[in-house]
Amino acid sequence: MGLFNFSQIEAAAFSLNEKKAPENQADLMLIQEALFAALPKAREATVAIDIGDGSGSGVIVSKDGLVMTAAHVSGGVKKKVTIIMPDGKRLKAKTLGLMSETDAAMIQITEPGEYPFVELNRTGQIKLGDWVFSLGHSGGFNKDRGAVVRLARLVGIKNTTYQTDGTLIGGDSGGPLFDIEGRLIGIHSRVGPQLPVNMHVPVQVFLDHWEPLMKSEFIGEGPFAQRPVKGMLGIATKSVAGGLEITKIGKNSAAEKAELKVGDVIRKMDTKEVKTREELQAVIKDKSTGDELELEILRDGKEQKITAELTER
Amino acid sequence: MEKNKKSQLNLLSVKRVLLLAGFFSAEMLVAQQSLETPYRLTGSFITDLFEPQRQVIQVCSAVIYDKNTEIAYGIVLSKDGYILTKASEIDHEKTQDAAKESAIPDVKNLKLDEPDEDAAPSIKLSVRVDKQSFDEVRVIAVDPLWDVALLKVEAQDLTPAEFATDSKLEQGTWVVVNGATSRTKRRVLAGIISAKAREIPTAGGAGLGLVLENMKGKLQVKEVSEESGAKVAGVRIGDMIVALDGRKVVKFEEIAEALKDKKVGDEVILTVKRAGKKLDLAVRLAPRDEMAHEPDRNDQMSGNFSRRRSGFPRVIQHDIMANSDTMGGPVLDMKGRVVGMNIARASRCETFAIPVEELQKLAKQMIEGAAK
Repeated sequence: MGLFNFSQIEAAAFSLNEKKAPENQADLMLIQEALFAALPKAREATVAIDIGDGSGSGVIVSKDGLVMTAAHVSGGVKKKVTIIMPDGKRLKAKTLGLMSETDAAMIQITEPGEYPFVELNRTGQIKLGDWVFSLGHSGGFNKDRGAVVRLARLVGIKNTTYQTDGTLIGGDSGGPLFDIEGRLIGIHSRVGPQLPVNMHVPVQVFLDHWEPLMKSEFIGEGPFAQRPVKGMLGIATKSVAGGLEITKIGKNSAAEKAELKVGDVIRKMDTKEVKTREELQAVIKDKSTGDELELEILRDGKEQKITAELTER
Repeated sequence: MEKNKKSQLNLLSVKRVLLLAGFFSAEMLVAQQSLETPYRLTGSFITDLFEPQRQVIQVCSAVIYDKNTEIAYGIVLSKDGYILTKASEIDHEKTQDAAKESAIPDVKNLKLDEPDEDAAPSIKLSVRVDKQSFDEVRVIAVDPLWDVALLKVEAQDLTPAEFATDSKLEQGTWVVVNGATSRTKRRVLAGIISAKAREIPTAGGAGLGLVLENMKGKLQVKEVSEESGAKVAGVRIGDMIVALDGRKVVKFEEIAEALKDKKVGDEVILTVKRAGKKLDLAVRLAPRDEMAHEPDRNDQMSGNFSRRRSGFPRVIQHDIMANSDTMGGPVLDMKGRVVGMNIARASRCETFAIPVEELQKLAKQMIEGAAK
């Protein structure tokens, strides 16, 4: 430690990547020095993402909390997720756009604040053999352990994929791949059966589709994420005083499973008053199968709260 | 939509990962550029740079064999042949079948490491150090907490490993291990310190190491596990269980309750009745079998990981590729000094090592214990 100042490290790291392989132990020590210099900042910005039925990793790339991750981690657009900072602090966040064919996705932390972030490598000079390192919450968030760092070389490049020989595992998905100077070059996506086969989405893929990603668009038709199927409640209604009265309940519908009954009067859905079918449609419109809907109803003159899980029909 | 295609990807989020490899072989064929193997992390152009460290590994990393199969590595402690290794890897119950047999968590019977009658015949240990081979190997002592065994071979001129003063290594620091071996030559792999030093709590919980039987409303010892704290404390088959830490226990549930919050390595006072006399025995708790759960997706991705991979008071972690058969050997710093001992291949990307501070203390204890 302390052998080089930062610009020397930068120069050294550059010369390091010019060599096809390090030539001696002094070259190896340059790699170590570069890691020491880059790791603290990279680590601060590496987060875990709690998606409810699992977890992945991500990395903050702007002061206001923009997070890059994998499409199969975010799972969909405009969804609520939780970001876990290295110190364990949990932050509310919302998924932005995703690219379902290349496994790229963005998330925005919705709690205002200034967040630690990393720079992207925009040089376009990333090449085979570059020394790189991965961070990620392997197997899930563990505060005592922290994100796990792995050293690697870039061993394969094609348009939408980098391959490295540093091992990844479940939970690392969406985590950052850095060049040896600590600039983001990729996002972890998937692994092969052999240990040294580990795949990442190049940052360039994000940069090439920045606008639609920021506009929360769902891009492509998989395989890394599936377009949401519209969620249905499965009722017919008529407007009455105080809300919408249920006149019919579909067989095997979400309404039937939630034990709604013909004659129930729906007053509110997700805390919004519903007096017309249009108002009901407006609440359900953006919901997907599996989403929950909170209903406030009147049954036999008594107020009641019921939660329904929306289904396909 | 295209469910099949999705299932061919080995995605990396925790719960949504499916393991099928087909997709990748296809993907690799169309890679536009690929780095030649010798230049990769495990390639010769990289590993050859660690020749000074390899020369240390050559003389101080022992190779432990069962007949002709390498089952573990070890650290040479003394000229006259004391060697440390990973205990559970040289254990006769090591076979996969035996692991499965004892895999069912059964609180009612408190079976800890139940001996398997049908297990393969006990293993025939031999040890190789540098170019010498030793067919007479004695297991001098076993520490269940750290899963370390002290071996002794008859030697006069071995080169003991040099220990570093501490394991306080910044993340990103190079470390070197014994990665593979031929009969005459050790090979190295290098990597970096990859996470914070920390405790690894026991996955399966802590246990006494006894099989108990209900005898007319009381519990009687039916079996005592080898290498368990109960064995060391002198618990015998036929002893009647009276109390645990002064609390009367007559039911399996009461024992489970009393051990619930205990950790591996904790000591409990077990009161037993033997030949009409009450005896208080101090039992050090051992880890219960960790294979007690079905392998999850990450386990499936991890290949040959260590059967015992939790319940360590403190470990350091590195990113060097390994498997369960390459544990027990030294982790060297760039000066060729031991900073730890590989003790568990935990997953596809995590290997744990006992830090040198604890390792040295343990080695001293075990050798002094052997001298008594």
